[in-house]
Amino acid sequence: MRFVVRRLLLFAAALFGVSVVVFAALRVLPGDVASVMAGLNSPASRVEALREQFGLNRPLPVQYIDWAGGLLRGDFGTSILTGRSVTSLIAARASITFPLIVLGLLIAIAIGVPLGVAATLARSSAARTAFHVAGLIGGAIPALWGGLLLILLFSRGTGLIGLFPSQGFPLDGWAAPGQAIWSLILPALTVGIIVGASLMRYTRSALGDIAGSGRIDMAMACGMTRAQAVIGVGLRLAMPQLVSVIGLTFAEMITGVMVIENLFALPGIGSGLVTDVGNRDLIAVQSELFMLAAFFLLVGLIVDLLHRALDPRLATAADASEVTA
Amino acid sequence: MTSDKTSRTSHTAAQATVRVNANVPAGPTAAIVLHGMWRRGEGKFSIIVLGLWLIVAFVSLFWTPQPLLATDGYHVWATPSAAHWLGTDGTGADVLSWLMAGSRTNLLIVVLTVLFAAAFGLLLVAAMVARNGTLAGASVVVVDALISIPTVLLALILAVPLGASVTVIVVACGFGYGLNLARVARPAALLAARSSYVEAALASGASGWWTFVRHIVPNTLPVLLVQLSLSAGTAVLAESGLTYLGIGVPSGVPSWGHSLATSVKFINVYPLTVLWPGLIVTVVVVALNVFGDVLRDAVDPMVNAELRDGAAGADCDGGTLSDPLRAARPSHTVGQRTAVSVRGTADTDVAGRRSA
Repeated sequence: MRFVVRRLLLFAAALFGVSVVVFAALRVLPGDVASVMAGLNSPASRVEALREQFGLNRPLPVQYIDWAGGLLRGDFGTSILTGRSVTSLIAARASITFPLIVLGLLIAIAIGVPLGVAATLARSSAARTAFHVAGLIGGAIPALWGGLLLILLFSRGTGLIGLFPSQGFPLDGWAAPGQAIWSLILPALTVGIIVGASLMRYTRSALGDIAGSGRIDMAMACGMTRAQAVIGVGLRLAMPQLVSVIGLTFAEMITGVMVIENLFALPGIGSGLVTDVGNRDLIAVQSELFMLAAFFLLVGLIVDLLHRALDPRLATAADASEVTA
Repeated sequence: MTSDKTSRTSHTAAQATVRVNANVPAGPTAAIVLHGMWRRGEGKFSIIVLGLWLIVAFVSLFWTPQPLLATDGYHVWATPSAAHWLGTDGTGADVLSWLMAGSRTNLLIVVLTVLFAAAFGLLLVAAMVARNGTLAGASVVVVDALISIPTVLLALILAVPLGASVTVIVVACGFGYGLNLARVARPAALLAARSSYVEAALASGASGWWTFVRHIVPNTLPVLLVQLSLSAGTAVLAESGLTYLGIGVPSGVPSWGHSLATSVKFINVYPLTVLWPGLIVTVVVVALNVFGDVLRDAVDPMVNAELRDGAAGADCDGGTLSDPLRAARPSHTVGQRTAVSVRGTADTDVAGRRSA
């Protein structure tokens, strides 16, 4: 219980910290917000007008409280360029990014975990080497290049086998779910292969650690075959660790798929953020950055709590240390 | 349990440990380490690839097959030929020349990022294992909070005022990787910081910083080497991603990410130009990732027998010698080794200061 309370306090403190960092970064770092928005060589009067319009001439603490107060009420401000509320912008983009990430993660799990188990079970040195090299290469491919290779292989028009569209998302969004999912396949596959390679290495090393501790041998001594022991005992013991890794990967992918979204012309969160930075839409950027960081922290919180629930040994260990302390 | 043995050998052990720690980058030890790496297939691969990278980056400062800014308007999108080994791009610029010139930009980015990450990470480690409980506790919380900010986000924040620049990549990546390093190296550092040899060093009047640099950092070396080489690889990948997004290397400056990003636009027309930069990045990143593993094993006397034999020639027992590198290993052997290392290095410290 003490752990949960402490973790929640840490979460709140981190949220506050992030909001200060984001706010300060856009103001303290060189480059005045208003003059950046106005663009190069714009007259001083225009910069001044922008300052006035967005309240940038007020003292910094007042600006911060105004913005942070809005965040607390759920008001993320308005995009300067489009005039739409940042909340609706993010919602529209998330409807593409989240399905993409979930699909990518499912592919990664479907690739990574079985391969990790297979790599652990492999006996011949040739097979072990093959798994090792595959993991190394999968983790070293630049996302951009991986996507390009898949386009060259499977996209309609360019690819050797024209199967999937390689550009854009249906304009009417999820009105035609089949079409929408179809256009997410190639990008999700790109993400899935790269993340899957790292998941495979994690699975293998987690299973290796457990085998090193003798628990697999113990299960085999009790009559299980090696495969049964690795899958039934090893994988169960590795589960808390793997769930942590998958959760954190999920959070990282929100920004990690930025390149993929750009490449496949999907108007998701990542590519939207890059566009806004390019357009100097700073009020929107400020709120978007905060929301992304907040989401990150939230996933971290959930993962930590879940890890705790999945691994009862942690709670016992903490209680024991509290008793002795 | 090992006290009688170590007290007998304490003086020679001290001298030898000093020698190894001080001489790792130079002299015969470096040759032994290099040889230890070369013996493994993976080591050969990474040494050759990284060596080629260094050579090409150096050569490109003085010579490239074609001048960078020379464009051959009559041979746009040329296929590989004697004049243009890897062909030309859409402006008629030589692909090979740009890739060669790109290697030095990437080298610069990797070196700066790794230095930044190492300095920042070790500073955080120092704070996290500080004897001042408040500082240690606070820095652990700060690292936990900051580590959840993704590198790309940081790069975007920095890019708002700075625009596309090498600085954005180096600072964003160095910051993020430094945090990772701090978190990963903390257990080993903590183990060393709480050991009796650090206690002894402090009791004999060593300053906190001196003790940190001299005793705690060497104990984190295995973790440090692996983590930094992984960071180097990730920095190369990050460069290609950030440059493609327009917040990395500015346009006009050659880099592998730049070559990759320019070829993307024409993938429908000239798919094969995409091949080279991606291939180079993949091979280099694999080499960097492998390099750390192989180097860690090569500087570990428990794995690299030659290092042990060389040390024996210098009148020292191998066991004590291995400890500063070995104690931090995150394995089930840690316990039994630390007991030895505690004595060995504590003696070193006292002896070292005495002779100084």
